[in-house]
Amino acid sequence: MNARTESFAVATHGLSMRYGKQTALDAVDLRVPEGAVYVLIGANGAGKSSAMKALLNLERADEGRAEVFGLDTIEDGPRVRAQVGYIPEAWEQAHSWLTCGQLIRHVAAHYPAWDQAYAAQLVEIFGVRPERKTATLSKGESRRLQFVLALAHRPPLLLLDEPADGLDPVVRNRTLAHLAEHLADTPTTVIISTHHVHEVESLADHVGVLDAGRLVAQLSRDDLRRTVRRYRVEVPEGWEAPLELRTPTLRRSRGGREMQWTLIGEEHDVTARLTAAGATVRDVTPLALEEAVLAFLSEEVAP
Amino acid sequence: MIDMTLHPTPRWRGVVLAQIRIVGLVLKPAALVVAAVLSIGTVVIVGEIIGGGPGFDSSETFPTLLIGFLYPFAVWRNEKPFGPGLFWTFPVERRGLALAKVFAGFVWLMGALAVFVMWLLALGFLADAPPARTITRVPVTATAAMYLFGSALVLGLRHPLRWLLGAGGVLFLMNMLGNVVNRPENREWQYVPGSDAFLSVTRRAFAAWVTLPEPTQWAISTLLMFGGGFAALWAAASRHRDRRRHRNRHG
Repeated sequence: MNARTESFAVATHGLSMRYGKQTALDAVDLRVPEGAVYVLIGANGAGKSSAMKALLNLERADEGRAEVFGLDTIEDGPRVRAQVGYIPEAWEQAHSWLTCGQLIRHVAAHYPAWDQAYAAQLVEIFGVRPERKTATLSKGESRRLQFVLALAHRPPLLLLDEPADGLDPVVRNRTLAHLAEHLADTPTTVIISTHHVHEVESLADHVGVLDAGRLVAQLSRDDLRRTVRRYRVEVPEGWEAPLELRTPTLRRSRGGREMQWTLIGEEHDVTARLTAAGATVRDVTPLALEEAVLAFLSEEVAP
Repeated sequence: MIDMTLHPTPRWRGVVLAQIRIVGLVLKPAALVVAAVLSIGTVVIVGEIIGGGPGFDSSETFPTLLIGFLYPFAVWRNEKPFGPGLFWTFPVERRGLALAKVFAGFVWLMGALAVFVMWLLALGFLADAPPARTITRVPVTATAAMYLFGSALVLGLRHPLRWLLGAGGVLFLMNMLGNVVNRPENREWQYVPGSDAFLSVTRRAFAAWVTLPEPTQWAISTLLMFGGGFAALWAAASRHRDRRRHRNRHG
């Protein structure tokens, strides 16, 4: 089956979702390039899981629409879901009476692209025991089984909602290493939702930051590294930051006449603006991914 | 814009077979219990027949109507028709998928009824009961129709048990009210809201239906009940269809 698609694997257009009076997603415009590992970051309740469910049409949006490989998630729901491997945040024991092997066979029956040999390999890699009842699995074991179910049909899009949740550090590292191997073997776009950025830092090449349902940042990791930096500046006594500097400010702290700013923008532009405002830039530091993302979520933004 | 190969969706045949398999696995524990009960029943009844006792009452109708109505709760056990579960992540049009599961349940129900009828016939044969009378003890068509209504209930309502209990309560109250208005001293209330007429017609239709009366009446009753059952099921399954935009938390 061939289809002409946009260069974005996933695109949402003004996607909004509410639960009663609570807003889960507020006009979200996700743009996930094909082949990207896009990490969707946000605090608990920021709307990460809702966004993933909307892509699978498990939760229906109140406004807006979403596309996966150019297919509308509502008009072409089955075709969209055929492209997706999904690991939900919470594992409900819907099939607790089944053994792992029976569940794998059941899921396989719904995916013509299911790769039996690869599934067997994944079972081995993730240490899933086919004869075990799914009801008896621990959270970590359930997660590993979910990885088998999500990867075995080599989906072009993986939606991983807190994939490392419930895994101990050793298994988490091993699992993420297997995921990296899978991505090296199989051309895949991945959206990983997490609030533990460090866990997936090695995989991420694009980042989206959700804050209370709003997408407050969306950029490639290179752009993030290049444009979000910490500036240590010295300012004259009684100096007030001009308005044009306040808007792109993510975080600032003050100690005497020295201030630290986390600002968005090309370094030479920001430095020029600070200098023009009367501040002296002493030092500019690039931020680690987690630090940069935390800056977007920080409540210290207001001066 | 680039060209890429997308994964195909599954064929319906495979989906239906997968649902038949999984429903079979869901029902297996209950089926084993029923089989054990029937085995014990067989030993007891055969013992009675050999001992010269009646052993086998061939006139009573079995309550398969009620079983048919409640059986969808077992078919959908733990599936969460209204939650974002694994079932709804499958790459299959959702109304069709829901109906495939209902069909799978139907296949097992009919299989179980067939086995049950065979069991009755075997016992009837031992007890010299006429086969025609034995068969009429199991209202297969009515049970199938009740299964459709039960499935519609499970698929169409978020809280089917609450609705069921609520409806039961209302019917009970209506019946009580009907009894009150039908008392001679309350004649003037006879035609007020009571459900007597409705219940009486329904009772007659059921009686006509389950006891194999004259064919035309049976056919009309069957047509009506199946028509109603299918309509209710289609409406219920449509709540889950893919192409519903906005404002319907799925699934």
